[in-house]
Amino acid sequence: MNSLAEYFHTDWAAMTVSDWVGTILTVVIFVLMVLVYFQVFRPKNRDRLEARKYIPFEDDNEFNGDKDGGK
Amino acid sequence: MESGLEQKYNFDVVRWFTIMAVVYLVVGASVGVYIASELAWPFLNFDSPYISFGRLRPLHTNAVIFAFGGCTLMATAFYTVQRTCGVRLWSDKLAWFVFWGWNTVILLAVITLPLGLTEAKEYAELEWPVDILIAVVWLTFTFNFIMTIATRKSSHIYVSNWFFLGMMVMIVYLHVVNSLAIPVGLFKSYSLFAGVQDAMIQWWWGHNAVGFYLTAGFLGIMYYFVPKQAGRPIYSYRLSVIHFWALMFGYVWLGAHHLQYTALPDWTGSLGAAVSIAMIIPSWGGAVNGMMTLSGAWDRLRTDYVLRFLIMALAFYAMSTFEGPVMAIKTVNALSHYTDWTIGHVHSGALGWVAGISIGAIYHLMTRLYHTELFSERLVNFHFWTATIGTVVYITAMWVSGIMQGLMWRAYDEYGTLAYTFVESVDAMHPYYAMRAVGGAIFLVGAIVMLFNVLMTVRKSACAGSLAAARTVPAAA
Repeated sequence: MNSLAEYFHTDWAAMTVSDWVGTILTVVIFVLMVLVYFQVFRPKNRDRLEARKYIPFEDDNEFNGDKDGGK
Repeated sequence: MESGLEQKYNFDVVRWFTIMAVVYLVVGASVGVYIASELAWPFLNFDSPYISFGRLRPLHTNAVIFAFGGCTLMATAFYTVQRTCGVRLWSDKLAWFVFWGWNTVILLAVITLPLGLTEAKEYAELEWPVDILIAVVWLTFTFNFIMTIATRKSSHIYVSNWFFLGMMVMIVYLHVVNSLAIPVGLFKSYSLFAGVQDAMIQWWWGHNAVGFYLTAGFLGIMYYFVPKQAGRPIYSYRLSVIHFWALMFGYVWLGAHHLQYTALPDWTGSLGAAVSIAMIIPSWGGAVNGMMTLSGAWDRLRTDYVLRFLIMALAFYAMSTFEGPVMAIKTVNALSHYTDWTIGHVHSGALGWVAGISIGAIYHLMTRLYHTELFSERLVNFHFWTATIGTVVYITAMWVSGIMQGLMWRAYDEYGTLAYTFVESVDAMHPYYAMRAVGGAIFLVGAIVMLFNVLMTVRKSACAGSLAAARTVPAAA
């Protein structure tokens, strides 16, 4: 057995319920995060996502007067 | 004046949280300067246990983190969720319950901590009855925020609300678990955890309080107030999404880097250090995203003093999120741990990032909430320079002091005995402790000037009747 295999050796029989719950949750969340990255960087989604950056300015248009609250 | 705003949204509770945040900034910084002076000139203890460093230090941290920081987060969260969702707060009564409940927690901290009533857990010192009150108030805050989002008019939940929501959910979880204790009286309890497990839970809470409360919450402020003050949308919305999810996934792993070279299993510290290094990427991504919002409009920094605060805060955010991971590396940690370097690092984040972004947001809010310009722009500029110079003096003193401490503690002679006694290292720190107190005092002067400027802005609004006029203008929508 080489040293790398030794380093990653896991005693699966010794895993407790807490170990399994933690491991499964971590892997699931990691996979979900990779999916989010994929969706965010997909060119098709670019315009849809970037359009949302204007939300803080949307309700300015709803009210009369200047947009800077008196500035 | 933006007519109809006062009718549509609940700004009264936001106004109260905003003013109280500035009051608590002055109180918390004052206590900080006093205890810093006690370390430099110990006679300031006056042999009174009530004002000794050990009792006032948690009062300082609670005042700046939970009183100033908490009121700032609640003001900005309640403001931005209304303005980005296009609806009034789901419940005005619950919002006021949060205001009075949170201020009661702060009052109880002011009473109990100088009396020495403490659970002795860092950043979670308050005894169990106050812990229960904190949980109830925080859950109410979270529930009202979520219900406001649930009734929104906008199709999408803007990213600042994601950061606020991430903070709220995680703080409930962290606070409840870390505060689990067995009461043995009204003012005394013992942690449910023991030994190294207690240490691990404590720093799982401790670092995540930094990650989710002092970082995620204030990033929520950044993602709304930097674009609004700059008058330009955030540089990249996609980057903000990545920033959010990477932060949520990564931060929970870091706590163990506070416990290097302890009884904790070695691998946990290594894992904490490795993920700390990885966290530089999203943290700097977020900082660059905020700064690049000014792309093409950097000249605004010459004239817009509020924007200066916001951008300088991002510079400190980038700096402290680089310094932290470096300090988590075991080799560096061997030198830095238990020294003043840690105090310097914490204050570059607390004064530079958290206070800086809060102060910028509060100045921005004052013009919107009171429908008038600030009483004095020149005083904002004066505040900016006192805050920046005070912070730099403080953290420089602590860097020098900390590295010197670390080197003195581990120096040994040719016989293998320690080269310096502990008392000699304390004596060598004196000039830097005095310098730290001066830096803190400079920062405090700026905070007092801010309180004056804020109160005079309220008076100006009252004299001109601008808020009263805004309240009578009919809603446009």
